[in-house]
Amino acid sequence: MTGPDFDGLLRHIRETADVEISCTDCFDLVPQYVDLEVAGQDADAAVPRLRQHLDRCAVCREEYETLRDLARLEAEGRLPSVDDLRNSL
Amino acid sequence: MSPVGIVTVKTRDNAEWLSALRSSGAEQATALADLRVFLLRAALYALRRARGNLGLMARAEIEALAEDCAQESVLAILQALDRFRGESRFTTWAYSFAVNAALVAARRERWKRVPLDPLIEDGAWHGADPGRQALEDETLAAVRDAIEECLSERQRQALKAVVFDDVPLDELARHWGSNRNALYKLLHDARRKLKACLEVRFSMPVQPTRRSEP
Repeated sequence: MTGPDFDGLLRHIRETADVEISCTDCFDLVPQYVDLEVAGQDADAAVPRLRQHLDRCAVCREEYETLRDLARLEAEGRLPSVDDLRNSL
Repeated sequence: MSPVGIVTVKTRDNAEWLSALRSSGAEQATALADLRVFLLRAALYALRRARGNLGLMARAEIEALAEDCAQESVLAILQALDRFRGESRFTTWAYSFAVNAALVAARRERWKRVPLDPLIEDGAWHGADPGRQALEDETLAAVRDAIEECLSERQRQALKAVVFDDVPLDELARHWGSNRNALYKLLHDARRKLKACLEVRFSMPVQPTRRSEP
């Protein structure tokens, strides 16, 4: 047992900004960020402050990572079909 | 035409998606059917990734949940069409609704049998490591003091539940009859207060108590 993550909390406290975007803002910005990432472009420069929110918010981060991987698989032509996904549940 | 499972859907660019979904009759019906297939695939993909949250749910139940998420997302997208600014592919934007619906549902499934009140009202830091506390007593004591003295009860409860007990933000929001934005702001305000407390009141740099392993 490692105990509560005080180090993680301290890091989040230290990096806290006066203004941070909301989860709704994050939801609106993530598709653009993901498409830029998948295209190999500088998503952080184009969509500033999003990464900061993703580092703080575990639920937004989970949704972003899933969307990113989904978009990447699709771009590479490797996204499983509906039937394959059903069969792999 | 692009294959997505057992059906084949028409390939559209952003403008064609918007035009078709805003049209009527057969053109709109076809676009809605195509969109639903895309969203079902995204929902199934997200639920498969979150399979660990779905416990003993049978495959048929997960498929039904994916269908519900896809349908819910179609309705949400139709209501939000005017918010699409064209800064991403339409399909990526649309997928985000299905991914959100599926992962919110998966988290709900994972936490629905966990009573949150005892977790929230218990002020103890579960799993505290006495040995580590002794070694890092000064920093930990400052953090604990700041949490106790600088935060409201609601902020302490949210911090403990989300940061230390890994309760998802949307589940705590649901439990409190609130929403994700409000909870995020509550925690942001709590972090700002703690930062001020630790840097000013305790005159100490806010640094991790130990460095991460290389």
